[in-house]
Amino acid sequence: MLHLLGVNLPDQKLVQYALPLFYGIGQKAALKILGSLSIHKACRISELTETQINQLSSLLSDMTIESDLRKQIRANIMHHRSIGSYVGRRHAMALPVRGQNTQNNARTARRLNGRWLKSEKREYSSSARSFFPSVDSPFEAFFNRKWF
Amino acid sequence: MPRSVWKGPFFVALPGLKQALTQNIPVRTNARACTILPSFVGLKFQIHNGKDYIPLSVTEEMVGHKLGEFAPTRKRFNYRQTKNR
Repeated sequence: MLHLLGVNLPDQKLVQYALPLFYGIGQKAALKILGSLSIHKACRISELTETQINQLSSLLSDMTIESDLRKQIRANIMHHRSIGSYVGRRHAMALPVRGQNTQNNARTARRLNGRWLKSEKREYSSSARSFFPSVDSPFEAFFNRKWF
Repeated sequence: MPRSVWKGPFFVALPGLKQALTQNIPVRTNARACTILPSFVGLKFQIHNGKDYIPLSVTEEMVGHKLGEFAPTRKRFNYRQTKNR
């Protein structure tokens, strides 16, 4: 196990497949890193030399990955939320932001969008519930109904 | 894809901006696509959402967004059991 910047990289993995374990590095970025450090593609984590590891860690510490990236994303969303734009509203309601359909599904948005503003969302839902007058029973409502 | 830089931000010439700044009158507009320029900060707007005019006071953070982003055009559906309540 190689421990780099808070992430464990398993020894037996190829470097190009171990690097995407970092949040913020994908296949493309991993291959670019390999190219810039001139590491061959079939190289495994255990085969990295000391200098290569040092180069790699210095390169990674300059990139915005892991908690830095998460913070950045959160800040971007909070910016929208604080100015009250449409994007911010949709995030707060845990609905799709970019005009996708919401009649069905919208599961990714429901899973991801609300979580940045969890505490705020809870307030939002509770206030929305108290806004509607509570109906005691459906029958009563039926009889009290003004028909004209 | 973002707009080309050489074009500059899209904005509509809004009448009576100077007067609105000095006298604090809201600017009533239908130009939802107009970008909020740095000179708009502190102004009050009333932005059309297709039905009525939504009030907005511009702050510094809003610069670069469009006016329409702050006037939602859709109403959330909520079910009412009876019509006259």
